[in-house]
Amino acid sequence: MRKFLRLITVPLLLWGLVASAQSRTIKGQVVSANDGKAVAGATISVNGQKVSAISGDDGSFAVNASGNVTLSVKSVGFSGKQVQVPGSQNTVRVSLTEESSQLNEIVVTGYTAQKRKEITGAVSVVNVKDMKSVPSGTAEQMLQGQASGLTIIGSGSPGEPSNVFVRGITSFGNSTPLVIVDGVQSAPGDLSLFRDLSASDIESVQVLKDGQAAIYGARGSSGVIIVTTRKGRGKPSVTYESYYGVAMPKTGNVWNKLDPQGMADLYWLAAKNSQQDVNGVVTSGQYGTGTSPVLPDYIKYGTKSGYTGPVDLTKYNNNYSKGDIFLIVPANKKGTDWWDVMMDPAPMQSHTITASGAADKSTYLYSLNYLDQKGTLLNTYLKRYTARVNTTWNIKNNIRIGENLTVFYKENPRIGNNQEGNAINNTAWEQPIIPVYDAGGGFGGTAGSQLGNSSNPYANQMRAKDNKNFNWQVQGNVFAEVDFAKHFTVKTVFGGRLDNYHGFYHNYRSYENAENGSSNGYGEYGGYNNNYNWTNTLSYANTFKEKHSIKLMAGYEMLKVSGRQVGGSRVNYFSDNTDYLSLNTGSPIGQNNYSDYYKTTGNSILAKVDYAFNDKYLIGLNGRRDGSSVFGPDNRYGNFWSASAGWVVSQEDFFKNIKFVNSLKIRGSYGILGSISNVGALNQYTTYGGSGGSSYYDLNGTSNTTVLGFYATNLGNTATGWEKDKILDIGFDATVLNNKLDISFDWYKKTINGLLFQDQAPAVVGVGSQLPQVNIGDMQNTGIDLGLNYRDKINNDLSYTVGVNVGAYKSTIINIPGAAGFFEAAGTHNTGNQVRNAIGHPVGAFFGYKIAGIFQNAAEVASSATQDAAAPGRFKYVDVNKDGKINDADRTFFGNPNPAFTLGLNLGLTYKKFDVSTVIYGSFGNDVLNETRYFQDFVTQFQNSKSIPVLTESWLPADRSKPRAEWTAVNPNAKYPIADNESTFSNNGVINDFYKEDGSYVRVKQLSIGYTIEPSTLKRYGIDKARIYVQGANLFTLTNYSGLDPEVAGSSVSFGVDYGVYPPSKTFNVGVSLTF
Amino acid sequence: MKKYNFKHIIPVALSSLVILYACNKSYLEVPAAGALSQDVLANKVGVEALLVGAYSLLDGEGSSAGTGNGPWATSSSNWVYGSVAGGDAHKGSDPGDQNLITPIEKWNATASNGYLDQLWQQRYDGVQRSNEAIRILKLAKDVTPADVTRITAEARFLRGHYHFELAKNFGNIPYVDETVTYAAGNYMVANAGNAAALAKIEADFKFAYDNLPESMNGVGRANKWAAAAYLGKVYMFEKKYAEAKAILTSVITSGKTSLGVKYALTDKFSDVFNPAKKNSSEHIFSVQMTVNDGTGAANANSGDALNFPYGGETGCCGFFQPSFSLANSFKVNANGLPFLDESYNDVPLKSDMGISADKDFTPDSVTPLDPRIDWTVGRRGVPFLDWGIMPGSTWVRDQGSAGPYEPLKHLFYKAQIGIFTDGSSWTNGFTANNYPLIRLADVMLLAAEAEVETGGLEAARAYVNLIRTRASNKAGYVGLATGKLASPTNYQIGLYTAAWTDAATARKAVRFERKIELAMEGHRFYDITRWGIGGTELNAYAKSELKQGYSTMAGASYTTGKSEYLPLPQNQVDKMQKDGKSVLTQNPGY
Repeated sequence: MRKFLRLITVPLLLWGLVASAQSRTIKGQVVSANDGKAVAGATISVNGQKVSAISGDDGSFAVNASGNVTLSVKSVGFSGKQVQVPGSQNTVRVSLTEESSQLNEIVVTGYTAQKRKEITGAVSVVNVKDMKSVPSGTAEQMLQGQASGLTIIGSGSPGEPSNVFVRGITSFGNSTPLVIVDGVQSAPGDLSLFRDLSASDIESVQVLKDGQAAIYGARGSSGVIIVTTRKGRGKPSVTYESYYGVAMPKTGNVWNKLDPQGMADLYWLAAKNSQQDVNGVVTSGQYGTGTSPVLPDYIKYGTKSGYTGPVDLTKYNNNYSKGDIFLIVPANKKGTDWWDVMMDPAPMQSHTITASGAADKSTYLYSLNYLDQKGTLLNTYLKRYTARVNTTWNIKNNIRIGENLTVFYKENPRIGNNQEGNAINNTAWEQPIIPVYDAGGGFGGTAGSQLGNSSNPYANQMRAKDNKNFNWQVQGNVFAEVDFAKHFTVKTVFGGRLDNYHGFYHNYRSYENAENGSSNGYGEYGGYNNNYNWTNTLSYANTFKEKHSIKLMAGYEMLKVSGRQVGGSRVNYFSDNTDYLSLNTGSPIGQNNYSDYYKTTGNSILAKVDYAFNDKYLIGLNGRRDGSSVFGPDNRYGNFWSASAGWVVSQEDFFKNIKFVNSLKIRGSYGILGSISNVGALNQYTTYGGSGGSSYYDLNGTSNTTVLGFYATNLGNTATGWEKDKILDIGFDATVLNNKLDISFDWYKKTINGLLFQDQAPAVVGVGSQLPQVNIGDMQNTGIDLGLNYRDKINNDLSYTVGVNVGAYKSTIINIPGAAGFFEAAGTHNTGNQVRNAIGHPVGAFFGYKIAGIFQNAAEVASSATQDAAAPGRFKYVDVNKDGKINDADRTFFGNPNPAFTLGLNLGLTYKKFDVSTVIYGSFGNDVLNETRYFQDFVTQFQNSKSIPVLTESWLPADRSKPRAEWTAVNPNAKYPIADNESTFSNNGVINDFYKEDGSYVRVKQLSIGYTIEPSTLKRYGIDKARIYVQGANLFTLTNYSGLDPEVAGSSVSFGVDYGVYPPSKTFNVGVSLTF
Repeated sequence: MKKYNFKHIIPVALSSLVILYACNKSYLEVPAAGALSQDVLANKVGVEALLVGAYSLLDGEGSSAGTGNGPWATSSSNWVYGSVAGGDAHKGSDPGDQNLITPIEKWNATASNGYLDQLWQQRYDGVQRSNEAIRILKLAKDVTPADVTRITAEARFLRGHYHFELAKNFGNIPYVDETVTYAAGNYMVANAGNAAALAKIEADFKFAYDNLPESMNGVGRANKWAAAAYLGKVYMFEKKYAEAKAILTSVITSGKTSLGVKYALTDKFSDVFNPAKKNSSEHIFSVQMTVNDGTGAANANSGDALNFPYGGETGCCGFFQPSFSLANSFKVNANGLPFLDESYNDVPLKSDMGISADKDFTPDSVTPLDPRIDWTVGRRGVPFLDWGIMPGSTWVRDQGSAGPYEPLKHLFYKAQIGIFTDGSSWTNGFTANNYPLIRLADVMLLAAEAEVETGGLEAARAYVNLIRTRASNKAGYVGLATGKLASPTNYQIGLYTAAWTDAATARKAVRFERKIELAMEGHRFYDITRWGIGGTELNAYAKSELKQGYSTMAGASYTTGKSEYLPLPQNQVDKMQKDGKSVLTQNPGY
């Protein structure tokens, strides 16, 4: 490290010496008049002399001058200042007054950049510092709560993609916003450009939310997230940023599971409740026969279940190649805490070294990042190495060229988050009586009577430890920019991404489960995804008569998205030794392979006009014509445009006297945008094809070979055209209270017409052929976004900031493809779909029977609407249509997963050298379907673990000797229905609202306390600046939700259904940031 | 660079942009990746392959249509709709597992039951694949007239089959011929009544019968006689007994397999179900299943993959457990003849219900039983193929809720693991055991029925006795066949020796024979509907099962005039609208 520093500093010193030989050096520091903090990046020029400098991160600068001079100091966001420096003075401190909080901030709004005060559209500018304070392996997780109108639903799984929606869900398919990083556009629906950015490389993030995103035409309708990465600035410096922390998983009985005795008791209870007992005597394969259950010593001994007696360990065999399996599995009578077995404190660390600087003609930034985030769940992690090179060169005065390039490599084994049957789920399902290991050193499992059908999650994850996936991604751009004829700039940018992945996996032939695979196996896969865009623009900017400011831009763009993949697998390996396994060493019988590829192209012309009169009246127009290969020749091109206007009221004379308001701008926009995220490359074509599994057939009766067969794979539609999304947005930006409070407010109405969605033709057309996407379906979201930023200084030592982001929207489906007026989603294990997307209802609404209560007795059953399987102790449904019978027509909408509003709260406080900050995120009014309870709360839903209230709080009949219909309750106020062995219409046989819960929550995403060490004490170590901090992430979550975590991701049309999420854990970090 | 003139530069720059744009129109011409166009297929090879594609859906899966709840909802064997609903078997497994089956089992499925929509989708997909072959055939120019006739006939046979499957379940179905396409937009096809649908199905099979050759290139293909057998079956559904009798008789006397083997019953009853003996002289038309073919078991009998004993290597999931009544139906009297008066349920056959596997149990060795029971119903204490003695409740997922018996007919032998089972799946239950859609015994019993209905009682008796004679082949009894000592079961099977003089009794005997010979093969419910006896037969069944401990049947009720058919799937009724009204008429009672 020291050597490295010397290497850098020696030439710099030499450069300084050469400079000072001619004249004196004025050294100084630029600070903010508001809080005394250093102002980095300020330009200091000496009037009348061609000399200038840029202040460093600590605000310091050095400039060469001779004689009495006047320094002109400028910095974005501050009023410029002239400072006279007499020839005798060699040091100077310049304090700049913040002009107005953020109004001069440069914001990239699509192909061009604008000052914030000139913006006429709805743009959320993210406070990158707050964003980066959240420790996470994925950038989208950091963004949660940082921009109003942006909904992000993630999980605790390292590297797991999150759901990201701008202003709610605007499509039945993919609703992911377009992401642009340094001018590189993402492939539709793919956030990976952004997700794996090294946090410290991020310079700015802004979210375009309204019609102005029409400049991105057919790709702008779900919003646009524009990211720029850091450029070199100021004097050369090297920074090292690092943190280390530990995530602490929840502890205790997180699933509220019964212990082994409780499970046995429940078996008895359910048998009696189903009248399957004989005078109170119940027979069980595991707990014996009698009036009460007895826990056995062994849950499995050879072919016996529930065995107590002597065992012969020599009989043990768990190896198929050595003959019949003979398991000896002791009962864990105390109970295995599967959650505890699977979850461990997980370390996380990140190290970043950045070298950057700017010279007269060039800027450079190099960075290296290493991130290693272990998951709290066994054998899940994200390990990533990232390198970046961003450079710019000024060739002559009017030509700039540069590149931004980043490369990362990552390994990221994950479980399927929120998928039924994943490792998290199995911690709930696997019964506590099952031991982790059996008596022979193998894994314990569900083999045996009454043990359910789940699988040992520890065995699964341990076997998966040798499964690997590798991912390389290169992304970046090169650009050249030429200014000419004073007002013109022509720019060409070529940017893209290439990711290359490879992985392999092993399937072991399990022996310990009730359901075991038929052989071992091994598979390998690889492929790449590539997208690029080449953008050429010509801009013109001029101001006439000092009042008419005009900016014009026109451009042309080409896009291509393509990729290939290949993979294969074999089975029946002689050995499970991972060193032995390759595709070649497996049996050719039953081998499987595949490959496929895709390609779509697009091109566009675009234009933009921004006009401002006297900084008071602002008008923006933009338009774009897009062509795309996914549409047929007749509908290949689509036109998109937007218009916006702003009125800076505070510039009006009549407003000058209003001191309370520092600035006020009222703005409105309207735009027509599109989305083609959901249109496949083959949409226009009717195609034929087939595969071994879908259309080949054994005409010759061979039992193991098939004859070539084809079918119509796709039904094309050349008439499908562009989706048109209309966004009306009205808002204002104001700065009040002496520049202390910024307010940004928007009301919007987003109407999607001709929504691209798969045709819902009836099955008689042959729906095994892929039906095309057609333009039917309309959706509407209305909502508001509110952003508040307050900053104040109590005295020179104490200042604080408060940032609030609120987004609220109401989603309504206006029209739906097909004649039915709805389509369903979110299939469950057994009972069908829980989500119905229907006209007049929000997207993702839950649909089924509403429970009115539990039938208490025969009289209540008789006096209620006729209901299949109605009986005392079972659910009574609401007779919605009041026709006296409960049937399909009584299903109704009973929940909405869309939050009423989301809230992000960023608080910061600085006291002397200490700083405290916190990020709080909340989601309010969203319903969650706790699908995990479908399995845990009903005895019939496989004999896996059940929750405690099923035994202790379920409806109990008073006298079981009577016919069931005559039963009355012991506990009429029971919360849970009777625990019995029947799955019927009147308990869990149909979708009902038993699983619905309020998913509102508030989470402290991070809270940190930092300390900045005095520069003077650091100098001797060669350090210019140092900050150390301690931090807690996900410190606590306030919620009434009974599942593991209320943050439940899903797809656009079905989210908020909890099949088993990987919950975020409390994380404690220490971090350091050093600048050399 | 100093003296540039923007008057020139701007137009040059702009026009170069426009040129760039204009030149790149071809840039947007991206051909379909990995797919063929219609032109490439419009020839003999292409059309033959499309025909194979139509065959490939016989196995009940293989396309994206109808996959929501898994392939069990669309199994070619109709185990849910034909056997479970017909009283052959219980759903099995845990009560909550695949509990969409429960309402079907209890004859009160609602139109929104996901299984029904799935079934509908899969079968109509088969219809359209058949139609596609016909459509493209019309565009092909290199096909000989003989091949045009044969391909059309095969396609119409398959189209008839898929429609027939729909008609058996839903009754009043829309008939979709090759003129109906997505592109033409003419797909709002109304349903015109059960009879109209059957008439069109009959026409398809008639065409196939008239035009298909006897011998075909491939044992899995439909030939003239397969079409004849199907046509006879359709006649039976239409109650055209004379026509049925004629054609079924010709199948029995003259029929040959596609490879030219004369139709004959196999020597042993069990051979019909042994995957190693598939496509025998008895198999008239079967769904061909394959394993280890590089598709990850996608061509195996996935629809039945859950229907294996639970725990152990026999597979998974414990569905499709034979009912008490079915087991009891194999009881015979001293003459080895069944109890036609349905008194077989009076004293249930001894079972291990409620006896845990570690407690002793000896199966009944006294009651005379038809030997076919132990090839149909897996009982504790009896050899289970070559798997050893069936151990009882350790092979049952939840005996208390689903009963003590195991299914057998579609099982594989332990010795066949890896040969007729797929190695790449999560269970051994993906097998290459064919499903016989129609076999000679089925045809003989239909012929016997036709004889009864047309007065040929003695001819009917002869057919029934043929079936019973084969069943009585001692070499085929359980135990001896597996090389182990026969368990001490009192197997008895006798022939109907007395002449049949009374049509009602003869009818009963034929129907009962059909029940036990074809049990667990997915036919029972459709036969009951055809006979119109569900109201008595199935309500009695429900009562009896409940009494014997199958609590699921509580509240089950078969409603005559309604329960004969499943409701048309609500999703499809909703989707098939014209002018705001569905073109589909829902079945009565729903």
